[in-house]
Amino acid sequence: MRNTLAIAWREVRTYFTSPLAYVVISVFLVLSGYIFWASLVRFSELCLRFGSNPYFSSQLNVNDMVVRPLFGTMGIIFLLMIPAVTMRLLADEKRTGTAELLFTCPVTSGQVVLGKYLGASFLLLAMLAVTLSYPALIMNSGASPDAKATLIGYLGVLLMGLAFLSIGLLISATTDNQVVAAVGTFGALLMLWVIDWMSESATVTLASVLNTLSAGLWEKVGWGLGGPTLGELLSKISIIEHSQGFRKGLFDTQHLVFYVSVIFTALFVTQRILESRRWR
Amino acid sequence: MLEVAEISKVYGGRTVVDRVSFSVSKGEILGFLGPNGAGKTTTMRILTGYVPPTAGMAKVAGFDVQDQPLEVKRRIGYLPEHPPLYRDMLVRPYLQFVASIRGVPRKQVPSRVDRAIERCGLTSVGGRLIGNLSKGFQQRVGLAQAILHEPDVLILDEPTVGLDPAQIREIRHLIKSFGGEHTVILSTHILAEVTATCTRVLIINEGKIAAEDTLERLAARGERTRRLALRLARPGDGAEAALQALPGILRAQAEDGVPGGFLVEMQEGQDGREAVASLCVSRGWGLIEMRPITLSLEEIFIRIIQGEAA
Repeated sequence: MRNTLAIAWREVRTYFTSPLAYVVISVFLVLSGYIFWASLVRFSELCLRFGSNPYFSSQLNVNDMVVRPLFGTMGIIFLLMIPAVTMRLLADEKRTGTAELLFTCPVTSGQVVLGKYLGASFLLLAMLAVTLSYPALIMNSGASPDAKATLIGYLGVLLMGLAFLSIGLLISATTDNQVVAAVGTFGALLMLWVIDWMSESATVTLASVLNTLSAGLWEKVGWGLGGPTLGELLSKISIIEHSQGFRKGLFDTQHLVFYVSVIFTALFVTQRILESRRWR
Repeated sequence: MLEVAEISKVYGGRTVVDRVSFSVSKGEILGFLGPNGAGKTTTMRILTGYVPPTAGMAKVAGFDVQDQPLEVKRRIGYLPEHPPLYRDMLVRPYLQFVASIRGVPRKQVPSRVDRAIERCGLTSVGGRLIGNLSKGFQQRVGLAQAILHEPDVLILDEPTVGLDPAQIREIRHLIKSFGGEHTVILSTHILAEVTATCTRVLIINEGKIAAEDTLERLAARGERTRRLALRLARPGDGAEAALQALPGILRAQAEDGVPGGFLVEMQEGQDGREAVASLCVSRGWGLIEMRPITLSLEEIFIRIIQGEAA
């Protein structure tokens, strides 16, 4: 535990002694702040124009029109910024030779992975914590957002960011070049983001895909060709799909389980990659 | 303290370390000598648990490197060839970080860091960014990092590479001061380093141990010579043939460019010096110099590397 925290703390220090943390946090704040402000201005304009109309004013909801778009925006900014946060983590250790220090200290590779992950998570938390001020700003105005729905939205964004970090860490472990790590992470995250675009058109069932792959063996065994389609599977692994509910303020454990599984799997594979040094 | 039995390492079909065995007892300073690419670094990496051996077994302080890596790692300090420094950290926080992951008890961290800083002469740079330090200071930070937790075994891979002569002397002095209480293994391709610091030397070449000895015994090899340099004031004709005819003399040859100089090679295990002297005196050649040609350590090293008997 002490090792993990020492590694995490060193990581946090490095983020904040280099310009990286400040650049990432300020760019994130400027972008999300601007979008929050823009939707707030638009919302108040709509309120002014239609507030007197009882039908329209029932449609005007600060959660739907201001807070929810904010979470969507944060997701997109994460997609662009997380690769910059994670690219250094393991790639740089290998390039500069400090990996040799870590792996000749009485530290397990699991502790290294967890320490790195916690360090990066701290940066993510710091970024998100500052944005809590946006909804707090309008808390006491007439357009007070629903606190519970807002917090659930935050939980969703946080989980998505944490999942992104774990994937970034995994890719950082596979290379000793930071640019390769960043580009690879961005590609992987974007792929997971858009993977459900096929969900409507991929109507072929999984069973028949497996049947083709096994040269008809699947059908002969009598497992049948029905069941879920490929598109359904793709929409289930889309990382954005699982955040929709959170944004609406709905808490569903299946989405929580999805993110936690992604994080756990990615960290586990990262640990195995570090250990694979021993097989060579 | 340290035991290595028949370790080998194969990288993609190439044998880098080939059945190397040796042992080091407490307080010894072992020099690991060999040309570049001889397998020194790989052997050290195996000892530190950074890479596993393909075959064989290594034990540090009674713990197997493969089976109980954490116990081994707790007892070693390691300075790799390239000091493992976080360039964007200050010296003191860096050492504090290493101290905590090396398992120094929390309360002792500040005092251990202070001690290492003092021993390695880093007092003046404790608050500076590692990346801005000169190569010599970086090397010292690397050394400080290795001795922080007072390890039983200190493994140093080319500790003086890239330093200026004054710094080299300081570092050697420092390494010598670790002997006695710590066991030290250092690798180098510079012979003078071994003569200056080590009690025992292990010469490794192409992954194999070429020689293992104390420095005195290695130097003594050079003195067990079979060649003589002879200088005569008035060598008569046929001196070469007459010398060569003596019992125990293999060959005698006039030395080029030295008037009256001869090189005499003796047979293995026979000392022909007395016979040579009396011959010269009886013929009235005027013996003014006779000296055994000893090999310097440097020459012995080169001969061992080239696979010749020294």
